[in-house]
Amino acid sequence: MDRLSYIASRLLQVIPVIFGCTLVCFFMLHLVPGDPARTMLGVHATPQGVARLHREWGLDQPLWRQYLDYLNRLLHGDLGTSLFYNLDVAQLIKDRLPPTLWLLFLSALMSVLIAIPLAMLAASKPDGARDQVVRVVPMIGLGMPAFWTGIILLILFALNLGRVFPVGGYGHGFTGHVRSMILPSLTVALFISPILIRSLRASLLEVLQADYVTTARAKGIPERRVMIKHALRNGVISMVTVLGLNIAYLVGGTLVVEQVFALPGIGQLMLAAIFQRDFTVVQAIALVFAILVVLINLLTDIVHAMLDPRVRFD
Amino acid sequence: MKRRLALVIAMMAAAVLLFGCGGGSSNSGGGGSQSSGTPQKGGDLVIARTQESLGMDNTNVFDNESIWIFQQMYETLYTVSPDGKSVIPWLATSYDLSPDKLTYTFHLRQGVKFHNGQPMTSADVKFSIDKAKDPNTGWGFIDSAIKSVEAPDPQTVVITTKYKWAPLIADIALFNNAVLPKDYAGETAKQFYQHPIGTGPFKWDHWTHGQEIKLVRNDNYWQKGKPYLNSVTWTTVPADNTRELQLKGGQAQIDEFPAYSSIKELQNTPGVVMHLFPSTRTDYLCMNEKVKPFDDVHVRRAISYALDRNAVIQSVLFGNGKPANSFMPPQVPYYDPNSPGLQYDMDKAKQELAQSSVPNGFSFQLSVGSGVDQDQQIAQILQNSLKQLNIDVKLRQVDPSVQFAQQQKGDYEMTSAYWTMDIADPDELVSFAVDGTTAKSFFTWYNNPQVINWTHQAQSTFDKGQRQQLYSEIQKQAAEDAFMVFEFYSPYRYATSDKVQGFQVYPTGNYHMEDVWLKQ
Amino acid sequence: MASAALEPATSLVEDRGRGFAGRWYRTPSFVAGLLILGTLIGLALAAPLVTRYSPTAQDLHHTLSGSSSQHWLGTDQLGRDVWSRLVYAGRVDLKVGFLAVLLPFLIGTTLGSLAGYYGGKLDMLIAYLVNVVVAFPFYVLIIAMSFVLGPGERSIYIAITFVGWVSYTRIIRAEILVAKRREYVEAAKVAGLRDSRIIVRHLLPNVIMQAVIFAMSDIILSLAAIVTLGYLGLGIQPPTPDWGDMIAGGQNFITTKWQLSVFPGLCVVLTGLGLSLLADGVNDLMRPE
Repeated sequence: MDRLSYIASRLLQVIPVIFGCTLVCFFMLHLVPGDPARTMLGVHATPQGVARLHREWGLDQPLWRQYLDYLNRLLHGDLGTSLFYNLDVAQLIKDRLPPTLWLLFLSALMSVLIAIPLAMLAASKPDGARDQVVRVVPMIGLGMPAFWTGIILLILFALNLGRVFPVGGYGHGFTGHVRSMILPSLTVALFISPILIRSLRASLLEVLQADYVTTARAKGIPERRVMIKHALRNGVISMVTVLGLNIAYLVGGTLVVEQVFALPGIGQLMLAAIFQRDFTVVQAIALVFAILVVLINLLTDIVHAMLDPRVRFD
Repeated sequence: MKRRLALVIAMMAAAVLLFGCGGGSSNSGGGGSQSSGTPQKGGDLVIARTQESLGMDNTNVFDNESIWIFQQMYETLYTVSPDGKSVIPWLATSYDLSPDKLTYTFHLRQGVKFHNGQPMTSADVKFSIDKAKDPNTGWGFIDSAIKSVEAPDPQTVVITTKYKWAPLIADIALFNNAVLPKDYAGETAKQFYQHPIGTGPFKWDHWTHGQEIKLVRNDNYWQKGKPYLNSVTWTTVPADNTRELQLKGGQAQIDEFPAYSSIKELQNTPGVVMHLFPSTRTDYLCMNEKVKPFDDVHVRRAISYALDRNAVIQSVLFGNGKPANSFMPPQVPYYDPNSPGLQYDMDKAKQELAQSSVPNGFSFQLSVGSGVDQDQQIAQILQNSLKQLNIDVKLRQVDPSVQFAQQQKGDYEMTSAYWTMDIADPDELVSFAVDGTTAKSFFTWYNNPQVINWTHQAQSTFDKGQRQQLYSEIQKQAAEDAFMVFEFYSPYRYATSDKVQGFQVYPTGNYHMEDVWLKQ
Repeated sequence: MASAALEPATSLVEDRGRGFAGRWYRTPSFVAGLLILGTLIGLALAAPLVTRYSPTAQDLHHTLSGSSSQHWLGTDQLGRDVWSRLVYAGRVDLKVGFLAVLLPFLIGTTLGSLAGYYGGKLDMLIAYLVNVVVAFPFYVLIIAMSFVLGPGERSIYIAITFVGWVSYTRIIRAEILVAKRREYVEAAKVAGLRDSRIIVRHLLPNVIMQAVIFAMSDIILSLAAIVTLGYLGLGIQPPTPDWGDMIAGGQNFITTKWQLSVFPGLCVVLTGLGLSLLADGVNDLMRPE
């Protein structure tokens, strides 16, 4: 199979996966006890008021009917209207997506920037003192919950040391966004990088023992160049894979980070929507999320396939 | 012939004097912001609050985070007074009540203009209240006593009620009856509420969803010289710590609802003023009388006696609260400070239980909101103290958004609940809490015909002395029947920069941003 | 959170595990990991012996006290002994962490073996399920679960199982694909051995260690998920002590009573450290000398 048809077949596989996601999400949400009408009306909920909202929102229809309507709307590119905000869900998500994408991108970048030098340091002398330190110290990041790291970073860099960064918020304009994203991304990166360091170190060690590296060494190529030219390239491939696989986790991490740093992202919207039972919003976010994950996985597969000649297209 | 009433404020003020519990008195703990010096114009204010607003539709929206904002844009004919105990004229200057007490004639204030420059007339009022009283809108039930609204001339509005209804002026002061331009100034309702206009001190600027809502000064506001601020921005910052840091760092000037645990620290932070405004929030534990043994008054009394309210206030509210002695909060008219709500007394609790149907103790489920810290802590304290009565409390974790729905269905044994007032009349709370014929007495299925009878009488009684008597009786009987555990009254917590002047939160939770200014 | 799969990096070596018994004490990371975990588990098991107070006993007159000879680590908001809570929370969290990984491990290994060994339609079906689950937002799932079942241990097990099996399936499937091409497997087939016997007796023993190593890092991720759920109020429910709940409860005191959240945080870090050292050690031991 050539590369193009490989990519095409992978793309085709995406469709049933996304369909499966909508199915699971829809029925799971509607099985959850709790009623958006009652949530909205609070203590003033009367049976008439609840029934009126149900009619308005189409929740008085049988479940399979609602699902078919939902699918039908989806096929026409309509994500529906938020029950609570009375706004177009597509618009709502469009407004909330940029901060989350920024956060994902910057934190992935930062964790890679943290992981590469540390893993190289560790792999250059396995089981040496530096290796031990690199293997142990970043683990602390894994045990520190995001809301904790986040607040400490805010106290340090936003309140005390020169007030370089804002205390949460999304800022205004491009530079404002970037400035306000540094600390939240660092928070996520501190959490993700221990996992990356471990996998990168392992694959670096593996590559360094491979035949072609030994050959390179025998040819008298300096160790640093061996590391960068051969080992790192392969190491990065495996790290991209790990990052891709961890994307779901990364998105989960942004949920809490958005809360702490008051970022108007998808995570906050989703959390609020789940608690309010704003079905249309939760469904739409789950869908967007699923598409995002599938696409990123697809991308990593393709990148993987391009970079690594050992991957066969089958 | 119509008997002209003195301003309602006078009538209500008398009630306050008579029963001596002005809202200001509980202000001493660092409450109301005393303006120092003459107000200065200008400045932009940022309020960091806990949650995002849902929408600006005043007839359908129930969340405070929306209500407190649109109240800066829309105004009502009458409004709640700063002590929360009465109403004062606002877009109307006065009203007359017919001798049969069914017809109210309102006289509108001259020279009031909407944000688009169009003058406010009786036609706008009629349009707005007609919309608001539609039973298909969320808040329509508040206006259920209103039969019709007429606009005989541009400055006069006549409201007729279906029956004698004492709380009417208090109802008219609710935000759902705010005056909007007739026919939404030519737009559809949905379009209008995307960028609404009213007569208020601040005008719509923009709403970036999830991030901020910004309102700017209305230069043609009818209160000359006000507002002082150029703009007010409400941002959404869910984490307590972050809001606090934003205040300290100057990114926000007002921190809505700092954690109880931070109050002491904020009180000692230079540049920060910690406000504790008296509120109408009252916390309860509801007992389902359809479930044995809660049908037994002795059991209910025993549990009510067994809760150490002061310990709860100390450890959960860090001392910032008062034990409740009535189901009505002190900031509501006709609250009775002598209401004999049961207080902590382990000996009496044991005596009551000994007289009950379950003298050797029993076991029950307490529904608590999962993730609601306050609920969790109080539940654990109650669990611990009821052990002494040999009562075993099992915690049932319930998602907060279904907790009340379960209570409505009677699917609970004991559950936590609270109430805050929307209007300056006790009827909204009293008929909800003890009238077994409507809301099943806060869904406890408490049913005392005598109390229900008093409640109905009070609705059509206009004489303040008689009304007070009725409400005192109701509070006394309800306390003796111990139909709920009255827990405590707690304040509204706002931390502000010391530059913020004139900021005051009313017991009903709203605030008037036109009175606020920033010291340079 | 268990959807993180570390692709098996090393290729299969048949004589893995040989010499394990003779070498483990010479592998420093294995010993260190064992020591750390052993101490934590030991403390948790001996909880009643090393604490003076019940983890739920309240003293509302001595709330938020600093450390003293009475209360080594002070008391919390309801006057409960922080040391007691820390130790008893260890019981709960270690148990939940390990158990939450066990079920996904079993399910994932089974499905992975079947998919890898038989291939074809079965493989495609399982691959499809894997893709759906991976694309599904974990937090929507677990929040929904805790709404349906009520928050607490049970929801955590179910949600983590629902998501976690995927990683094991991927790892085992990949390993089996390689292993089944080996000669002795072919030989066993020719000899007419039943498939189940080939999988259980000949294939799994050679590939299972990769899953075990992954399980150790998976426990860390599960613990992190439990802590995050505690922050959202959906984790282990009070009055049962739990590190996540303790960290979350202490967040309002970060500037004043920092020890309330730092010590439980430290416990999570130590557990993670112990587990990853152990995993490294096992990995080292698997490498042929």
